[in-house]
Amino acid sequence: MMRLIIIATCILFKIFLPNFAFASNLNPEKILDSIDDLYRSNTSYGILALSVTTKNWQRTLTLEQWSKGEDRHLIKVLKPKKEKGLTTLRVDNNVWNYMPKVKRVVKIPSSMMASSWMGSHFTNDDLVKQSRMVKDYTFSVTYEGEREGKNIVEISCFPKKDAAVVWGKVDVIVYRDNYIPLSIIYYDEDLQLSRTLNFTNIQMMGGKKMPTQMIMIPVDEPGESTAIQWKKIHFDLTINDDFFSLRKLQQ
Amino acid sequence: MKITKLSWRNLWRNPTRTNVTISAVALCIAVLIIFQSMIVGLIEKAKFTTTNLVIGEAQVHAKGYFDDRSIYKSLQNTEEIRLVAKENKIGLVERSYGFGLISSGTKSAGTQFWGINPESELQHFDFANHIDKGNFLTNTSLKKIVLGRKLASSIAADIGTELVVFVQGADGSLGNELFYVAGILKNMADNVDRGAAMILRKDFDILFSANNLIHEIALNSKGRFESEEIQKLLSARIADVDVETWQQLMPTIALMTEKMSVFMRTFFSLIFGVAASLGVMNTMIMSTYDRMREFGIIRAIGTTPWRILKQISLEAILLTTIASVIGVIVGLSVALYFQKYGFDVSGSGNMSFGGVVMDPVWRGSVSVGIVLLPVVLLMLVSVVASIYPASIAARIKPVEAIHYKP
Repeated sequence: MMRLIIIATCILFKIFLPNFAFASNLNPEKILDSIDDLYRSNTSYGILALSVTTKNWQRTLTLEQWSKGEDRHLIKVLKPKKEKGLTTLRVDNNVWNYMPKVKRVVKIPSSMMASSWMGSHFTNDDLVKQSRMVKDYTFSVTYEGEREGKNIVEISCFPKKDAAVVWGKVDVIVYRDNYIPLSIIYYDEDLQLSRTLNFTNIQMMGGKKMPTQMIMIPVDEPGESTAIQWKKIHFDLTINDDFFSLRKLQQ
Repeated sequence: MKITKLSWRNLWRNPTRTNVTISAVALCIAVLIIFQSMIVGLIEKAKFTTTNLVIGEAQVHAKGYFDDRSIYKSLQNTEEIRLVAKENKIGLVERSYGFGLISSGTKSAGTQFWGINPESELQHFDFANHIDKGNFLTNTSLKKIVLGRKLASSIAADIGTELVVFVQGADGSLGNELFYVAGILKNMADNVDRGAAMILRKDFDILFSANNLIHEIALNSKGRFESEEIQKLLSARIADVDVETWQQLMPTIALMTEKMSVFMRTFFSLIFGVAASLGVMNTMIMSTYDRMREFGIIRAIGTTPWRILKQISLEAILLTTIASVIGVIVGLSVALYFQKYGFDVSGSGNMSFGGVVMDPVWRGSVSVGIVLLPVVLLMLVSVVASIYPASIAARIKPVEAIHYKP
């Protein structure tokens, strides 16, 4: 009888607390969710600077962005003048670009999802695949403690078999005390380092303490990078669903 | 001299047999000449179609252009390349390439934009004539675009369709323009069919915020120069660029044409060589046994075996010579006819080679080698074939031979 109770308890724990086995009170699921929600909350509005550095040129665009939930996004170019009004709309897995000069909307074909978004080192896919990390990956805490003078937690994520993910592994490194991200390291399918996203400049913004700058450093293009600097961000404003529509895009 | 006369007379002792053999050998030679000229004609046609369409005999790119086809890898010292081409009267075109997005209605596709100069493309290359619908670009068709056929159908574009074009310029800025479809090309080569969107160089520069970027120079002498010669001419004068022959650009087609030519010619030469040699050998064996008694007598009065050997071989050579003359006359005239007029094979559908559609008239190609090879081959073969009967006659014992009854 006693044995049966022990076994039943174990099974229950196995079912309801899959990560219970790790000898820590950390909850990696919560950490990953907090990163996913960092810049978006329920709805968000913000202004940011996108600085792209390549071997051949360096340029900065000022962008205005709106988001609602996990699958609606609208990004509009404010500066420079040549691209002013250029807008990207993302609803679910679809991405459209509105071109003010010719007043037309173009849908990004699936064959071009892996190519650069607005000339940056982010891809159209990065825009689309902003779903929940916890949905697409199996994860576990792989390091906890001091590293380079910072108290951190490292979570390694491996894609689930059926997840539509291009990475072979993603390492998420956050501060131990507030779960604010430090860097996210992406590995390709052969587990070779592919790119690093570093978060810096932690400030209060939109009522949240968050890194206001992130820099994407691709491994295969030495010397190149894309930096995003948040100038302003507001959360939980009221934005209607039809704000994220093709009709709205063309207005 | 005497021996030649003797051989000649011997040859005509049984005119029917000799005539039949001469006809057979002549036929072999004629067929070989015609067949080889057609094979070589086909191969040359494939080569010409390949080079004359878009590729040219040689191309110049900036070093390492093919690694990533980056818009930044453009050619710098184009002046010198133009000079070399002009001095040797080789046709030259300059092309710019950039990648971008093209869209009509709700359909869109990634594509490669070609900035071209329509006048020089028309003058030196053929693809501009392969228009399925509409017209090719002219020097004044600004904001007009010509599409590959599969690309056009994938975005459901027709003549006059408005296309939205979205690209990243050379300075990193994002260019967008409207273009109108002027023409749709016929199927010609996979990279063109699926991905080519051709616009004027002027439009290309505006679209890509580029300042006269040239990514490719294609040279075409239409067969006056070998591709390797053009490569040498350019490499000698211009450093720091990649000069490729069409064989290097399309190695599979180059290898295929080469292997096909060698294989076909060897194969058919072997078949006809064996057939002709058996014919000659048969005739010579027959005539040797016919004349057994004769050989016995001339051996008895002191003729050396060597002389008999020479005489019989000479008979074979004479026979083949006559056959060669007839065969060459017949074969050459037919081959020349096919070289001039060719024959239309369009009835059996599109003739394509390595994805390149060819002009449906199949012509032969006559050269000295094509005539010489069968003649020399059959000469050799008939001499070898006559050795066996000749050695029978030479080794004959006079007494036995005199009593030989055929």
